[in-house]
Amino acid sequence: QLDHGCALHTAARGGLSSVSPQDVLAERPRAVFHTSESDPAKHTEQHEGRLYSIPLEEVKAVFPHGLPYRFQQQIQTFNEARLMVRRPALELLTYLKSSNLAHPAVRYVIYGERGTGKTMTLCHVVHYCSRQGWLVLHIPDAHLWVKNCKELLQSSYNKDRLDQPLQASVWLRNFKISNERFLQEIKTQKKYTWGKRESTEEGRPLGEVVEQGLARVRSASDAVGVVLREIKQQSHRGSFRLLVAVDGVNALWGRTTLRKEDKSPVSPEELTLVHNLRKMVRNDWSGGAIVTTLSQTGSLFKPSSAYTPHELLGKEGFDALDPFVPIPVANYSPKEFESCYGYYLERKWLQHEKAHTEDGKAELQFLSGSNPRQLDRLAGPL
Amino acid sequence: RIMPVRWSRYNPSYLEPEVKKESYQKPLEELTEEEREQMELKAVRPIKAAPPTVSSSVFSDPMISKFTNMMMKSGNKVLARSLMCQTLEAIKRKQLEKYHKAPENEKETIECNPYVIFHQALKNCQPIIGLSNITKGGKTYQVPVPLTDNRKRFLAMKWLITECRENKHRRTMMPEKLSQELLLAFNNEGPVIKRKHVLHKMAEANRAYAHFRWW
Repeated sequence: QLDHGCALHTAARGGLSSVSPQDVLAERPRAVFHTSESDPAKHTEQHEGRLYSIPLEEVKAVFPHGLPYRFQQQIQTFNEARLMVRRPALELLTYLKSSNLAHPAVRYVIYGERGTGKTMTLCHVVHYCSRQGWLVLHIPDAHLWVKNCKELLQSSYNKDRLDQPLQASVWLRNFKISNERFLQEIKTQKKYTWGKRESTEEGRPLGEVVEQGLARVRSASDAVGVVLREIKQQSHRGSFRLLVAVDGVNALWGRTTLRKEDKSPVSPEELTLVHNLRKMVRNDWSGGAIVTTLSQTGSLFKPSSAYTPHELLGKEGFDALDPFVPIPVANYSPKEFESCYGYYLERKWLQHEKAHTEDGKAELQFLSGSNPRQLDRLAGPL
Repeated sequence: RIMPVRWSRYNPSYLEPEVKKESYQKPLEELTEEEREQMELKAVRPIKAAPPTVSSSVFSDPMISKFTNMMMKSGNKVLARSLMCQTLEAIKRKQLEKYHKAPENEKETIECNPYVIFHQALKNCQPIIGLSNITKGGKTYQVPVPLTDNRKRFLAMKWLITECRENKHRRTMMPEKLSQELLLAFNNEGPVIKRKHVLHKMAEANRAYAHFRWW
């Protein structure tokens, strides 16, 4: 039985205990839009619109990849990571808490217009799951696997498919950082041969497969495939709970911009990483959940006004993902806008004299249309 | 078909538009005599169209717009404006990081407002006296000459931009270079301040030719 009480790593646990006493005192004047509850399991509707902070060691352990670039810059400037608790995330958390793990995995698709906070909702859910001790399979952006690939190798396992060593090794490295203790505890169930002299026996910890993938970059995509297969087969036993978090899932069923050496276009099925991920996203396994996000910003050959699941996934993707729970994410409500504006003021991010006035606030609300991304970009130079 | 015209061809009776919201929100009693006459005149005379660069936003700043126009190349105002926004954000980030790491007593001395830094840096870069070429008796002399405010501002901005464009490594981005230059100029260091001092010294050295100026 794996221990999934509440903590992730002993290093992160040291940071958690320092949350309560000083924060209650320091946060009384700014209690309106902050909350000292840093455990996502305890977030309820009364925390809606408020920002909670994640200790920095936990950020490094849980999110080696996956946070948007502007949010990472914000963490570095403010020296703290604050995430807003919003209604779609709370909805997802209630579904996850009440889900029956004996049933096949339920698929959740987070969709919405550009810049409304889909990736941040996904990160909130990933934080909750890692706090609860689930095994988190987080793919930060599936679009990175279907475009701008410098090296495409022909796969040794299956002649028709193509390997992507660079992307696979980067993902394996980050997976190792976020899920270290599971890698020791999950054992392989089959013997895998990597080449003439290298093979992994049955019953070895999964960490060895990951090391193999990192050491021999040529077989990194196959290592990823092995990891996914093992985890999927063992999840129904109940020894650990699995969360598959994919950002930009519409990349798996669209077109790619990659070409083979004879200049013919590559379709997503021909890539090993995409093929294995599609098997992961099918609901033929139990003992966990699949949370995905649609994303137009990184997508290929899709118009910029497309945001609904049907437009972005296409017929093939929609049929493959078919019974799913759609979760729409909208722009900031007035209360959320107030709390975001107050946070920027308190952190001295809005430095312009006029930004502190009512006129400035009204202008920011009008210009951004309460869209979180636009507000962030407008507040940058101000 | 609309023909582009370089200088404005409005009738002299047309008045300039008033863009700021505050001037329209003042109640009648607070206005002085001149302002009341001005308002009555505006009710009668036609008004010119407001140029697209002028905005009624509370965040607009004429100096920043002028600097953005000078940074613009081949009419690409979108790119110039985004570079300006990224520069201001870069200055703010650097100063905020310094602010959060500094001990309590030094926190008040660190200036985090990018607009204040920008204006102060420009003021520090403005030369007081300039040189102009005057030809007398076949030879051209560099004569020290007083400069108007507009010319000073223009020279400061031009020096900053040329310094960033030419004397930096090819691969550094403009916001990074500009933010660095502005922070150095704010503290009265850096190559632009040096260029200003060189100009002052040349003017001081050529003091003898000052009487060649006839205006």
